[in-house]
Amino acid sequence: MSEMKYRIIILTFFIVGSITTNAQTCCSGGIPLSNNLGLDISEKGTIQIGLSYDYNNLNTLNSGTENLNDNSRLRITHSVLLNVGYSITDRFSAEALFSWVNQRRKISQLGNNTLDQTSGVGDAVVLLKYNFPKLLGENSAFNIGLGTKIPIGSSTETNDIGIVLNSDLQPGSNAWDIIYYSLLSKNLNSRPSFSVFSRIIYRSSGTNNSYLKTSEYKFGNELQAFIGFSDQFILFNTLADPSLSFKYRSAEKDAIDGFDIESTGGKWVFLVPNFSIQISPSISFNTKAEIPIYSNVDGTQLTPTFRVSSGILINITRKQKKLF
Amino acid sequence: MKKNVIYLFVILLFASCSNSTDLDFPSSSYNPEEWLIPIEEIRDGGPGRGGIPAIDNPVFIGANANYISDDDLVIGIIKGNEIKAYPHIVMDWHEIVNDNDVGGSPVTINYCPLTGTAFGWDGVVNGQATTFGVSGLLYNSNLILFDRNTGSNWSQLKLECVNGALMGDLPQTISVVETKWGVWKNMFPSTKVLSLNTGFNRDYGQYPYGDYITNNDFLLFNVNPANDALPRKERVYAIIDNTITRAYRFEDFIGGKTIKETFNGKTHLIVGNSDIINAFTLSGPYLDLDFQYNYNDTEEFFSDNEGNKWNIFGEAIEGPRTGEKLTISKSVVSYWFAIAAFYPNPEIYSE
Repeated sequence: MSEMKYRIIILTFFIVGSITTNAQTCCSGGIPLSNNLGLDISEKGTIQIGLSYDYNNLNTLNSGTENLNDNSRLRITHSVLLNVGYSITDRFSAEALFSWVNQRRKISQLGNNTLDQTSGVGDAVVLLKYNFPKLLGENSAFNIGLGTKIPIGSSTETNDIGIVLNSDLQPGSNAWDIIYYSLLSKNLNSRPSFSVFSRIIYRSSGTNNSYLKTSEYKFGNELQAFIGFSDQFILFNTLADPSLSFKYRSAEKDAIDGFDIESTGGKWVFLVPNFSIQISPSISFNTKAEIPIYSNVDGTQLTPTFRVSSGILINITRKQKKLF
Repeated sequence: MKKNVIYLFVILLFASCSNSTDLDFPSSSYNPEEWLIPIEEIRDGGPGRGGIPAIDNPVFIGANANYISDDDLVIGIIKGNEIKAYPHIVMDWHEIVNDNDVGGSPVTINYCPLTGTAFGWDGVVNGQATTFGVSGLLYNSNLILFDRNTGSNWSQLKLECVNGALMGDLPQTISVVETKWGVWKNMFPSTKVLSLNTGFNRDYGQYPYGDYITNNDFLLFNVNPANDALPRKERVYAIIDNTITRAYRFEDFIGGKTIKETFNGKTHLIVGNSDIINAFTLSGPYLDLDFQYNYNDTEEFFSDNEGNKWNIFGEAIEGPRTGEKLTISKSVVSYWFAIAAFYPNPEIYSE
């Protein structure tokens, strides 16, 4: 097989995968763990630390693709996420993602509001990644990764009258998931600062075997596929890095005791504008939004209205460490 | 600019970590410590309190409604001169209709799609008119309502207020029947039926729980105690009489039947066919009557040896006792698993 054919196959896999693959996810209000994986693989010894805040607002009630014009139900997830990455070699790195979450469910009916919420440490993810540089020629990268979601978050939080809240409102899932990760990026030869990229993350969900003590609960498997481009330019003497991508998310139905639960899962497409600036040689600030442009939920359920997140990323290279 | 960016991020971070107060409303006004049912067996269904919206301004149309098929189940009620039907295809999405004019008084029709149970409750509680909402909580997979006057929680199938200011109170039930729309409108052609103009936009043609209604293995929430004497989702007609609950299978009424039997010191007349059953507690002169099933697609459902004709609600519509009413037994149509969980070890009628 020629090198060109090899490249075409890989590119086709990513583009098609980004657009059509069916998979599954938990309900729409979940904690953005998979969404925030993907630190760069840097030179050996580099440590990356990311701290970000994520706000997910679900206030749109859909039946399939139809907006039911009912905003009486509101689900909000506040998340604080800590990413830590370490490049073990120039090609091999490890990444860990920790979370603290506040999940809220607010109902407004007849002028009355009811709020149920939980807060606490959420689940964590550990991911190992390997980079195949120049697989698609100069200035390209192809990363694959395998990881697991570790259920360190509580899944038995109660409301203010002591009743255990349902799985969607819990900080943790009490289930081990397997995470599959891949990234493909290519910088243009004609404009090296301009890159196109595709990222695919698939979560194979585990099962909470002690849901409400006597039941089994499994969030639907989930696929997230991104395809986009980014560029760099100087803004007010600062290096700015805007990007625009499309995110496709597909989630299977959740299951309880092996039976699918209606009105969970679905398919979504989001537009994701992203902007980052270099605050210092080792610190960058990043902010992004997720705007749903297509929502096709299973049954009738809340679907994302918008999501915003901001954070900083600190790169500590081996040279910088020597300075300390 | 760089400093401003950092300040902005820090502010966002702290804002996320703090408990914002704009959304913090009290979820109830009742004492959370006291429940008449085990709190560890109460489940959060997911939508939250009021997340399944009750219908508070029901609109009714005539029997020529074209959105219901003859085989769709409805909850039927007659009060005064008012004849109304509430289709399951609407109730599945709302569970409660606060109807402030059923024969001139308020009635709350409540229906739990997970247990298949429907009741009519008087809308006046403790001397005050009230309305009910869906609490979002379930006990033995069954609806818990809350009254909007006091926030008290009421277990539907237990027929009791189980938490809050009115804890221990019993709802005043108004008799309803459950049957197919085609049967109901043949019995009562002048019926009104709840329209789809509910004030909410829902997919009323679509059952919201998948194959739950037919899959006997599938329960969204476990119940206690479990009883496998019959298929879990088999609809049974149950008479609840204090310590004894007696279940009647619709398949035993194919072709129409009347049963007169005595338990717990009371004599009950059970009359029905494969589509509808109702029961009456007999006393006085009615004990000596000989009842016959006699339904022929009209209001008359059974008759007796005195020449009286009775409708499904036990009202004599023709004959020497015209206008008299039999006392309807405390009863409900329910999925088997639910009635057996709330009223353990029910007896099953057999010929």
